[in-house]
Amino acid sequence: MESRILQLIAALRASGVRVSLAESAESFSAVDIMGIQDKETFKLSLRATLIKDVKDIPTFEKLFPLFFGTGAPPMMGGNPSDDMTPEEAQMFADAMRQFAENLRQRMQRLMNGEPLTKSELEALGQLVGLNQADNLNYQNWMAQRMMRALAFPEVREALKELMEQLAQMGMSRERIAEMRNMIGQNMQAMQEQINQFAGQRLAENLSDRPRGDHVDSLMNRPFQALSDADKKLLGHEVKKLAAALRTRIALRQKRMKSGQLDPKRTIRANLKYQGTPMEIHHKDRIKKPKIVVICDISTSMRFCSELMLSFLFALQGQVRKTHAFAFIDHLESISEDFSGANADEAIASVLVRMPSGHYNTDLGWSLNDFQNEYMDTLNGGTTLIIVGDGRNNYYDPRLDIFSVMARRASRTIWLNPEPPALWHGDSDMPKYAPLCNNVLKVGNLRELASAVDELMVG
Amino acid sequence: MTTLFDSTATVKAELNKQSYIASDEIATIVYLAEKLGKPLLTEGPAGVGKTELAKALAKSTGRELIRLQCYEGLDESKALYEWEYSKQLLYTQLLRDKLNDTLGKADSLAGAADKLAQEEDVFFSERFLLKRPLLKAILSDQPSVLLIDEIDRADAEFEAFLLEVLSDFQISVPELGTLTAKHKPLVILTSNNTRELSEALKRRCLYLFIDYPTLQEELAVVRLKVPDLNPKLAQQAVEFVQRLRKADMRKSPSISETLDWANALVALNASNLDQATLEDTISVLLKHEADLQKAKRQYINPPPPQQPKSKNNYDEFGRFSGN
Repeated sequence: MESRILQLIAALRASGVRVSLAESAESFSAVDIMGIQDKETFKLSLRATLIKDVKDIPTFEKLFPLFFGTGAPPMMGGNPSDDMTPEEAQMFADAMRQFAENLRQRMQRLMNGEPLTKSELEALGQLVGLNQADNLNYQNWMAQRMMRALAFPEVREALKELMEQLAQMGMSRERIAEMRNMIGQNMQAMQEQINQFAGQRLAENLSDRPRGDHVDSLMNRPFQALSDADKKLLGHEVKKLAAALRTRIALRQKRMKSGQLDPKRTIRANLKYQGTPMEIHHKDRIKKPKIVVICDISTSMRFCSELMLSFLFALQGQVRKTHAFAFIDHLESISEDFSGANADEAIASVLVRMPSGHYNTDLGWSLNDFQNEYMDTLNGGTTLIIVGDGRNNYYDPRLDIFSVMARRASRTIWLNPEPPALWHGDSDMPKYAPLCNNVLKVGNLRELASAVDELMVG
Repeated sequence: MTTLFDSTATVKAELNKQSYIASDEIATIVYLAEKLGKPLLTEGPAGVGKTELAKALAKSTGRELIRLQCYEGLDESKALYEWEYSKQLLYTQLLRDKLNDTLGKADSLAGAADKLAQEEDVFFSERFLLKRPLLKAILSDQPSVLLIDEIDRADAEFEAFLLEVLSDFQISVPELGTLTAKHKPLVILTSNNTRELSEALKRRCLYLFIDYPTLQEELAVVRLKVPDLNPKLAQQAVEFVQRLRKADMRKSPSISETLDWANALVALNASNLDQATLEDTISVLLKHEADLQKAKRQYINPPPPQQPKSKNNYDEFGRFSGN
C-alpha cells in the first residue's frame, strides 16, 4: 500500500503537481488515521493532504483510480456455454468449425467469460510498446492498439457470423439473443480490463520517469527553438518572474514616501518615548503599480506570443491594475479573458479569437484604436510596456499617437525579440525606439528575467 | 489534547445540529484536520458557506470563534500583537513611589540599575501586550476556533507572518520570547481564489475545495433554512438557480443568494414560479445589470426563435474585423 501511495505521488509530480516531502509524509499520517476500509474516505484523505490547488484536482481524480482501482478484473457478463442443451452444444460446435483456429480460441474465450490474465496483458502491452509511453493521453490509443492486437474487430465480425449460422441451424431466437447479450457484456468487460491496464501501466511509467530539471538550459534557449513541452515547463518560471516583478514594485512603493507628516501614526509610534517625536512617520502615498501592456501576436511574433501572453497572465494576477491588450491588425483588450484562473484556457481563447493572417500586422491602426478607446488607462504612474518586433508591413507607424502615449505614461518600455542589428526592412523599430525610455531585447527567458529587473531599476 | 469528534459521522451530525449541511467530503476533511491538528484551507466561489463552516464548527464545539478578516494592507500590528505603550507609561507613573522604595535601598548607581533590571520583566510582560486575533487565539485559556477569512485579500507578505502560527502554533515576540499555544486552536482559512497563495502556506494546510452544491444538497439547505417555503416551489426555485449557474454569468448566484430568494418568495407569498414572480424577484439572485438582462432574455421572456443573434463582424468604426 505504501509503495502504491508513493507511486501515486511520483505520478502526480510527473504530471506537474507540486507535492512537497512534508505533504507526502502527511498523507501517510492522514491515511493512518482514516484507515483504508472506505475507498472514498481514503481518497479524500490523500486529496486533502496532497492537492492544494483546484486546478490540480482533475489530475488527481484521473490518477487515483489508476493506482487504486478495483484491481480485480471487471465482472464478466456470464457464461453462455454452461447451460446449453446437448443439441445446442452440438450445433454450436458445428457452427464454430468454419472459423480459423486462433479466432475460434478467442471466441470460445468470450463465450466462457474468461478474463485476460496478468501475463497475457503484460505480453499485449509489450507488443504495442506500452512500456515506452508515459503520457496518460495515450491511454485510449494504447488500449485500442491492444484490442487490435487481440483481433477484436475480426472476432466481432466472426461472432456476428456465428450467430447467423446458429439461427440458420435452428437455434431458438431467445437463446441467440441471450447469448449475444452475454458475449457483448463479456467483450465490454474485456475492453474495460485492457483500458484499465493501459492506464495503470502508463501511470506507473509516469511515476518512474526521472524528473527532468533542465529548466536552466531552457532559459537560455531562444523562443523560436522551444517545443510545446518546453513552453509548459517554462510556464512556472514565467510565473516566478511576474511575482518578482510585483515584489520589486511593492518594495519601491514602500520606500517611496512623500514629505507629508502622518500625525496619527507619529503620535502612536512615539508613545514609547513619552510623546517626544523621535520617530517621524510620513503618509504613504498610496501609489499602486499600474501597467498597460500591448502585445503583438501576429505571425512574426507567434513563436513567442504564447509565452509572452502567459507572462501577461501572470502579471495580471500579481498587479491588480494591469490592462492587457493584444493586436494584429487592430487592438483588443484581453484583460477580460485573463480574469479567470486558468492560464492555458485564457491564452488559447485569445489566440483563437485573434487568428494570425498574412502580412496584416498594423501597429499604427492598433494605436489608433488605443487612442480612441483606452487612452484614459494611461496616466501618471503608468508603465507602458510594448511587446513586439515593430514590423509594420510599411503601414503608417502613427508616431504621433505613440509619442502622446509615451508622454502620458511615466515610463515606456519596449520588449523586442529582435536585436537592433535586424531592425531593417519593414521594421519601424528605429522610429519608435527614440520615443521609448528603454528598448530591451527579449529573445529568451533569461533575457525576459533581466528585462524584468531593468523595468524596476529605471 | 482531547479530540472533539470521534468519527466523520459525528462531525456531520454536529454540524447538522447547527443548521449546516456538510457533505461527506467536508465532514471527512474537517475530521481529518482536527485529528492531524492542521489548519484547514477552504477555497471556493463566494457564498458557498466557507465562513459559515467555521461558525458552525465553533458553535458545535462550543468554542469561541476568533475571526481575522484579511484586507489589503493588513499588517503585523493589527493581526498579531502590539505593545500598549500608553498603559506602560501609566503604570510607570503610578508605580513611581514603589520604584523609589525598591531603588532607594541600593547604595550605588550600579546597584540601582541592577535592581531595576530585575524588575524589567514587569514592563515587558503579557500584561502590556495588546492581543490581536492571532495572539488571542494562541493565548486563549479556552480552546478556540480561529477563522482567517479571505486570506487572498491580504498581501503576499502577510502570509509570512502566518507561517509560524500555522505550523507550530506559536508566536515570537522579540521582548518576551516565544509564546506557545496553551490549546491548539482549530484554524480555518478561507480564500476566494482571486490570487494564488504561496506554496509555503499551502503546504502547512489541508485543502478543501467547496463548490456550488448539487441540486439535492441545495434543496436540503433551502428546506432547512427556509422551512416555510412549500416543497414544490423550493424544488422549482433550486432548479432555476442551478440552471442559472450553468449559464455564463458574471456572478453566479451563491447559496446565500438562493436563501435570500427563498425568503423573498415566502414573503411575497408566492405559490408558483410564474413569469411575474420571477421578474419581480430575480434581482435578489443576480447582482449585475448584464446578468439580469441576460436572464430575462433567456429564461423569463425567451425571444422568438426566428431571430438568431448574429455576431457582428464590424466594429464601431465600420471596419471589418476578422472572419
